[in-house]
Amino acid sequence: MANESLDLAFHALADPTRRAVIGRLMQGPAPVSDLAGPFPIGLPAFLKHLKVLEESGWIRSEKRGRVRTCHVIPERLSAAERWLAEQRAVWEARTGRLADYVETHLAPKDSK
Amino acid sequence: MSADLSISRLIKAPPAAVWRAWAEAEHFDKWWIPHPMECRSVRHDVRPGGGFETLMREGNGEWQPHLEGCFLEAVPEQRLVFTTQLAEGWRPIEPWLALTAVMSFTPEDGGTRYSAQVMHKTPEDAAMHAEMGFEQGWGTVIDQLGVLAPTLT
Repeated sequence: MANESLDLAFHALADPTRRAVIGRLMQGPAPVSDLAGPFPIGLPAFLKHLKVLEESGWIRSEKRGRVRTCHVIPERLSAAERWLAEQRAVWEARTGRLADYVETHLAPKDSK
Repeated sequence: MSADLSISRLIKAPPAAVWRAWAEAEHFDKWWIPHPMECRSVRHDVRPGGGFETLMREGNGEWQPHLEGCFLEAVPEQRLVFTTQLAEGWRPIEPWLALTAVMSFTPEDGGTRYSAQVMHKTPEDAAMHAEMGFEQGWGTVIDQLGVLAPTLT
């Protein structure tokens, strides 16, 4: 796989909403409306996330009648690339938790 | 294909605060492993050669090994390095996942530019290893992310 498409794949994983969507789709295909449900963002913003995931090759979607259903594409990456992408997701998530924890519990009150 | 990752994030707190979250086990245990799993530091000796060992458990289950390693470098509020290829006192071990991570803490805009560089052997080597032990290890992470990620926003 070319580095450019790998960059796209990693960029797609850098966002928590998009990671959550992939996580959900690993359990099976889902309609867009179900996917968007848990997120406190508007539908247009959510659709932008789906577009990034589609363009980076993580998911594909198909429309039947009025319902658009999304699927994850697990075969998109080789085992090695998928593994590295997962490690990145682990470290991105870990760094997010660190930032949240520090900002909530350890930051001096006057630095905010 | 490179087997390295670089993560960078601007944290709204001074380097001293970010350092404490890493260097003090009571704080470290709160963020190292995704909720709802619980983390317990068995060794957290932040100095060159110091042991680094965490356990994890889910619910009231048994505590299970999560990570064992050794700190290689510890410059307070600036830089921290650990590897899983060595244990306490630089003793060689065969880790489940071989990696070395370099964390840096740099003042920026009244906060901290936190960077982590994570080096693996080759991804092919790691993926082969991972396929053997994925179910028990971090391979379930994508599933967990579905649970975890919304809490990170």
